[in-house]
Amino acid sequence: MDTIQQRTLPQTSADPVWTGLRLGDIPLRQTVELTLIDLPADEAEPLLERGVLPGCLICPVRSSPSGDPIVSVDGTLIALRRETAACLCVSLLTALQDVG
Amino acid sequence: MIGPPNSGKTTLFNRLTGLRQKVANYPGVTVEKHVGRVQLADESFVDLVDLPGVHGFSARTLDEKITRDVLEGRIPGLRTPDALVLTVDSTRLESQLMLVEPVLDLELPTLLVLNMVDELQERGGSVDDEVLEQRLGVEVVRTNARAGTGVEAVQAFLSRASMRETTEEKRSLTNVPRGVALPMMDAFTARRSRVRTVVEAARFVPPRESGPSERLDAICLHRFWGPLVFLAVVVLVFQSMFTWAVPLMDGVDFLISGSGEWIATTLPPSWFRSLLIDGVWAGVGSVVIFLPQILILFLFLGVLEDSGYMARAAVIADRMMFRVGLQGRAFLPLLSGYACAVPAILAARTIDDERDRIATIFVTPFMTCSARLPVYALLIAAFIPNEPFLGPFMNRRAAVLLGLYGLGIVAAVGTAFLLKRTLLRTKPGSFLMELPPYRIPSPRSLALRLLDRSKIFLRRAGRIIFTVSILLWVFTQFPRVDGGPPPIDDSALGRMGQVIEPVIEPLGFDWRIGMGLLTSLAAREVIVGTLGTIYGVEDTSDDSINLQAALQRDLTTGSAIGLLVFFVFALQCMSTVAVMRRETAGWKWPALQFGYMLALAYVGAFIAVRVF
Repeated sequence: MDTIQQRTLPQTSADPVWTGLRLGDIPLRQTVELTLIDLPADEAEPLLERGVLPGCLICPVRSSPSGDPIVSVDGTLIALRRETAACLCVSLLTALQDVG
Repeated sequence: MIGPPNSGKTTLFNRLTGLRQKVANYPGVTVEKHVGRVQLADESFVDLVDLPGVHGFSARTLDEKITRDVLEGRIPGLRTPDALVLTVDSTRLESQLMLVEPVLDLELPTLLVLNMVDELQERGGSVDDEVLEQRLGVEVVRTNARAGTGVEAVQAFLSRASMRETTEEKRSLTNVPRGVALPMMDAFTARRSRVRTVVEAARFVPPRESGPSERLDAICLHRFWGPLVFLAVVVLVFQSMFTWAVPLMDGVDFLISGSGEWIATTLPPSWFRSLLIDGVWAGVGSVVIFLPQILILFLFLGVLEDSGYMARAAVIADRMMFRVGLQGRAFLPLLSGYACAVPAILAARTIDDERDRIATIFVTPFMTCSARLPVYALLIAAFIPNEPFLGPFMNRRAAVLLGLYGLGIVAAVGTAFLLKRTLLRTKPGSFLMELPPYRIPSPRSLALRLLDRSKIFLRRAGRIIFTVSILLWVFTQFPRVDGGPPPIDDSALGRMGQVIEPVIEPLGFDWRIGMGLLTSLAAREVIVGTLGTIYGVEDTSDDSINLQAALQRDLTTGSAIGLLVFFVFALQCMSTVAVMRRETAGWKWPALQFGYMLALAYVGAFIAVRVF
């Protein structure tokens, strides 16, 4: 299936450090940058509409009782399933742009 | 009026129109079409349509499809809008503005309402609305819809918009290319970067995190406390329905029987008195008693939605739902199903996967709706002894009631499981839920909603049950014997009942129950009114009828339990069938649902009669 690839460099600032990390691996309260959404188009669209796009900053703030992540994006709390979080590739921010 | 879910759009709509309608702090609860009139300063009116809260116009969910169709003027009977009021939650300006761009492409006069500005400022955020106006090319106003500030500015905009020449030219929302990942991605990225440019130019300072909301979530979404709070909330809702409602119900009962007796003593004996007392009072009265219980349930659902807890409950329920094959968003429809399946089925419109949505609304009528309560309450009181069961905390009656609720859940879960593995198979989809900050529900909008619910319930009791009661009474009066009413077995009603008796005989029901079941196809609670009328006419003494004693005479305990089981499973509700037809655009699903539930009910009752 066609997946969504990052094509242009994120517009935020400095180049991200690509580490092959997924959102599901990120500890709570660490802000990371979304680099790639590895989901089919129809599952990615709800994320895109809410501004969850490659280049945005995303921070897991808590996990639900069943262990699914709740993330903060632009001040909005969004609950995801861990299966979805495992399909969101992220990269760590370089020290200079730490906004956490 | 358009805007994302939880932007306060509906609260503003209420402020402007004063029209009662649902307001909630739950993503996507505004599912019915709401139109209201706004009176302007010069005494003229404009019609305002409150559209469902959406994040985009891809028409993936029914809500999005409806919103899109209205904006593009594709709903028959509803004209293309002349102007738009776009409401956003200013504490989350950046993500909310993602909706703005396609709306601006409509090139209609648009007002951007920055709602909840008070909250933004309290939490240290700010934005320059003049820059927003320039950059976006629309008027911008600040409001706090809950407190009612800034509403005049919206009215002034509506005034100006109503002066304009209107054109009926077709509009179309620019749409991102769908299905194909790369172009869609580019379109959203481009939109996003334009939004960011505007927000940066307007020097938007995002608010600090909401401390109280954070602390509440630390409990409500805690690994251990979260599910406990969830369970406590569900128990509280049911406990209050059955304990707090009792004094209120006694009060209503007192009013109905008191007024009935007053009529009985005031009017001379005549056919009219018989119609009024045995037909109308016995029929309608036996149903109106349940109004307090229904209102308490709706009050709780309203508080849960408006406070923002419902979204958390959906997150907690998601894993359980996931195992059955449904998703967390199905929790609101299923919980609402305890009040009434009709609004519950409409609430399922926010489920984005079509097969998930159909599976959810297919099983929703298994949830024990409030119309079943009158039937359960009557039969349990008549047949189940009021004695302790499992220690001092629960008596036998409560246990049976809980068992009936449980049976409904088992049927819903089993059916969903079956459907998702056969007719409605999907690959496990994603679940995405926005968690709005906790907010204190507005008593004003809660009160408006309860008033609305009372009206709907009483109108139903008024129309269906009143009509059925009168018709039944008439059928008990003919053919006349020596100028008087016949013995009930020989009446038109009795003869009709005896025709259907063979079908229900294996369940141990006589023709009276049969007529009750037949009339309850209109609405479940009608059976109580029907039995009230039949026994009321049959009973020749002057005492007010005792439905319980009459039932004890005609039913064995086994058949009574069979009847209860029948009501757990059967889809006896015309309104549900009608709304199912509308929501699935055809007769296939409602027909399947009706047949399936009826078969389950018959078999279930058949087994119950033989077991007990």
